[in-house]
Amino acid sequence: MSETEALETHLQELRRGTAVLACLRLLESPGYGYGLLEELSARGFETDANTLYPLLRRLEKQGHLTSEWNTDEARPRKFYRTSAAGSRLATALTHDFHAIAAAIDALPGTIQEHED
Amino acid sequence: MNTTSLTDRYVDAAMRTVPEQQRQDLGAELRTSIEDQIDGRVENGEEHSAAERAVLTELGDPDKLAAGYTDRPLWLIGPRYYLTWWRLTKLLWAIVPVCAAFGVALGQTLAGAPFGAVVGSVASVTISVIVHIGFWTTLVFFIVERSAQGADAGLVTPWTPDDLPEVKERRATLSDLIASLVFLAIAAGAILWDHFVGAVYFADTGWVSFLAPGLWPWYIGGLLVLMAMDALLVISVYAKGRWDIGSATINLVLNLTVAGYALWLLSQQQLINPEFFATVIPTDSADTVYTIVTILFGFGIVAIAAWDSVDAYLKAHRQR
Repeated sequence: MSETEALETHLQELRRGTAVLACLRLLESPGYGYGLLEELSARGFETDANTLYPLLRRLEKQGHLTSEWNTDEARPRKFYRTSAAGSRLATALTHDFHAIAAAIDALPGTIQEHED
Repeated sequence: MNTTSLTDRYVDAAMRTVPEQQRQDLGAELRTSIEDQIDGRVENGEEHSAAERAVLTELGDPDKLAAGYTDRPLWLIGPRYYLTWWRLTKLLWAIVPVCAAFGVALGQTLAGAPFGAVVGSVASVTISVIVHIGFWTTLVFFIVERSAQGADAGLVTPWTPDDLPEVKERRATLSDLIASLVFLAIAAGAILWDHFVGAVYFADTGWVSFLAPGLWPWYIGGLLVLMAMDALLVISVYAKGRWDIGSATINLVLNLTVAGYALWLLSQQQLINPEFFATVIPTDSADTVYTIVTILFGFGIVAIAAWDSVDAYLKAHRQR
């Protein structure tokens, strides 16, 4: 495995849970699949469509999202919205994420200047 | 509508494996999402059919997407049951085919089948037993994996340190040595007793030997020499502290020599005293008994020699 492949794998591992957190926070105001996909990408949470769509279903099944068909527009869309349980989960995840970030900052060792 | 045909086909393919009651809702949502994504690309100046193709390519295999929607596992046996499945399969493979092969060979020989037929049926039974064990064990775990829906089906108990296997005895132990020497001494004593005294006593004929009297002195002498060599071998293994490939091979050669001679004598009807059964069972059935005992004796010799040889190699392998 080359260095860039290894980097890709590790970054993917690291980002795995962040899509859930971002969805729950963004869907405090209702949104639909494609719109959410675009917004996630615009906000720096690059997510594949084939990951996001099943994820929304799973969160709905767990009761963290509620859904409703909106037929007002020409193309009917299924809108998702974060439920009370989803909000609590988002809060918990955000706190945990901050705690992890603080713990990483407190780690010893020098960090090289990041090059893009 | 030729332009939507790919999307139609994709949605249809994805919904095929989705449960009936979710199909309409999921299908409609998936179609809308695909059309939204296509429109997004068309607004950026892509041609419609190229955009459709790109969106569907990105979504990937529809069956895989459907599996994501319905939480269906995309593996035969997942990590939860893999170790249990593999341990059980290995255990069954280690025990059942050997027993089946031995049983079939014994049964066929007793029934009087010719040698080639015995070999043929042993081979085919062994292969089919191995394949059957693999298939049915895997099928059961395949079903458990899917019916449990990711929950614990009670097949796997939580691991505790008590489950750790004992460390395999690395050294050749004193108890092994004593057991081998005692066994050899008893066997040698029994052979000599059988020859000089006899195996059973009858009032009219006196003592009758089990082994044929013609074996004395050369064959029995040779056997005693081989047994002495076996004793020296186990002593040297104890002195060296462990079995290695060399001593296991010497053990194999000794076993092959003893078993080979014994089987050859048995097939020549020179091993067992012909008087023995005629005296013990003075009826017409003595011949049948003689045949059956000969076969059982032969299989016993092969089984013991095979087990002893394999055991030595296993120990040599383990103690590397």
